Amino acid sequence: MSEFLRTYLTVGIFGALGVVLVGAFLGLGRLLRPSRPTPAKTENYESGVDPIGDGWSQANIRYYVFALLFVMFDVEAVFIFPWATRLEAYGMFGLVEMAIFIFILLLGLLYAWRKGMLRWV
Amino acid sequence: MGAEVLALAFERPPIDWHAVAPELVLLGFGALLTLIDIAALERGRALMSALASIGLLAAMVPILTLALDGADRAMFGGAYVIDDYALIMKAIFVLAGYVVVLLSVNYVAEGDYWENEYYQMLVSSILGMVLMASARDLVTIFVALELLSIPAYLMATWRKRDLASNEAGLKYYLMGVFASAVLLYGMSLLYGVTGSTMLSDIAGGVAAGAAPPAVVTLGVIFVVVGFGFKVSAFPFHTWAPDTYEGAPTPVTAFLSVASKAAGFVALLSLVFVGFWNRTDVYQPVLWVLAAASMFGGNLMALRQKNLVRLLAYSGVAQAGYMLAPLAVAGTSAAVADRALAAVVTYLAIYAAMNLGAFAVIIAVARRTASAHIDSFRGLFRYGPALAVAMTVFLMALAGIPPLGGWFAKFEIVLALISASTVAGTALGVIVAVNSVIALYYYARIASYMWVEDPPEGADTSPISTPLAVTAALVITGGATLVFGILPQWVGRFTEVSLLAAAG
Repeated sequence: MSEFLRTYLTVGIFGALGVVLVGAFLGLGRLLRPSRPTPAKTENYESGVDPIGDGWSQANIRYYVFALLFVMFDVEAVFIFPWATRLEAYGMFGLVEMAIFIFILLLGLLYAWRKGMLRWV
Repeated sequence: MGAEVLALAFERPPIDWHAVAPELVLLGFGALLTLIDIAALERGRALMSALASIGLLAAMVPILTLALDGADRAMFGGAYVIDDYALIMKAIFVLAGYVVVLLSVNYVAEGDYWENEYYQMLVSSILGMVLMASARDLVTIFVALELLSIPAYLMATWRKRDLASNEAGLKYYLMGVFASAVLLYGMSLLYGVTGSTMLSDIAGGVAAGAAPPAVVTLGVIFVVVGFGFKVSAFPFHTWAPDTYEGAPTPVTAFLSVASKAAGFVALLSLVFVGFWNRTDVYQPVLWVLAAASMFGGNLMALRQKNLVRLLAYSGVAQAGYMLAPLAVAGTSAAVADRALAAVVTYLAIYAAMNLGAFAVIIAVARRTASAHIDSFRGLFRYGPALAVAMTVFLMALAGIPPLGGWFAKFEIVLALISASTVAGTALGVIVAVNSVIALYYYARIASYMWVEDPPEGADTSPISTPLAVTAALVITGGATLVFGILPQWVGRFTEVSLLAAAG
């Protein structure tokens, strides 16, 4: 086995260990705990409230638009934070670059706003 | 270690504004279209197609000045290269995009479509292709690939209320994402063994003896398979027929020409620069893909009743023809130059003839609202000009002299024979056999148009073709004829080489 592949052995051992550990804990719990199911106990857990309806209920499509807009600014933040720590070094060039980057993303937000995506009707 | 990184002084990367001018023009026009959409909403509709075509033609200006200048330019440590090869491909993408705008004008304006967004998507997709032509780095290639693919997924679903169009977009999207994942895995393996994303560094890193052969083989195969989806090579073509059939026809024309060419442009850069030293790995893979695509595409095209599906399968076969020279490219430097020139020539001519065929389908479907082969029966009676044009494009696709496709196939076979190996000659024979198979289904459509009577009850008053579609027909028809009669014209532009970059 080459040096390159041997380094991947770590990944394999780590994965196997993960499977073994989870299996051991679940198995151990099964051996130790008593099993007395009641209807209330076997019900699905939904934040402590009595679950209503099916698990496969349809989510409102409007959440999707908000999720997309959120991802957009999330990604923007990922780029802006490291940039901000080094702005002095980047100087004017960095400032203009970031302005262009934000402008392009802002176009997306402006578009969503103008098309009425930000209103919760 | 973190302190060391922070201590490094920042150096402003030198940017050659002339070299990125085509991309900046497209980006500017894309942003302009979006701003007009934001400001004027539906009132901006009338401007959109005109502005998109002006933007595409404006992008041609810096491409021409760069070509006249002639100097090779490289930026970002060689990740972004402007050479003759990149420029000819950029010109193909931008001009094909322009023809697609011409085809779309009436189609999108008359149907129940979002028009503003359509042209925004089209321009950003072409921007991605233009980037791809210059990309010589795995990360740049991947970013360009996503930039050109994501708008294309959306455009495939543009007939929003039509289930077939939704299916087209969904299939294209799922297969495209799957291909991206395969591609990324291959790229990560290549980066893992070579320690660089730059294609010129990978060329040295994957050379025999430098890296474990198993990992290099897997990496190369995964990358080739990833782009195999993009160029719809058999057996990775399964999305193509359904997507082509369901998508709006101008979008199908765009996917079958520009998107396929973009897959090839990346594959060419990878084979001629990145994998150059591993002919033993990539040549057999591409040989099998090319032969399977030619036979698979042509044999399945024989059974098609829908002209768009037929062109989808014929596109699979055409991808096979274009993959074939890559399978012998590594024989010697002379063969490699010849193979690259043959593929670039084929891409240019294929763009003209395939866009032309779709232009006729769009023009006829305005009357018959169908792309079924039967709706072309007796076309000569009521649309003689369209029937002549369609015959020209079909015969060009089949490779009959003196039309463009003949020269393209000739170059391919010449490149295959020049390798003077058994594998090369065998592929040459396969290309010849498949040209005969393909002639059958192309000629069948021609005979439907010329010999048969129009279907019962069909409206046979003369077809009127919108000006924009006529313009597209004149451009593509003219190019198909010129490429065939004066092949030295196109040959002069496609005499390109990537080997200098491989070093």
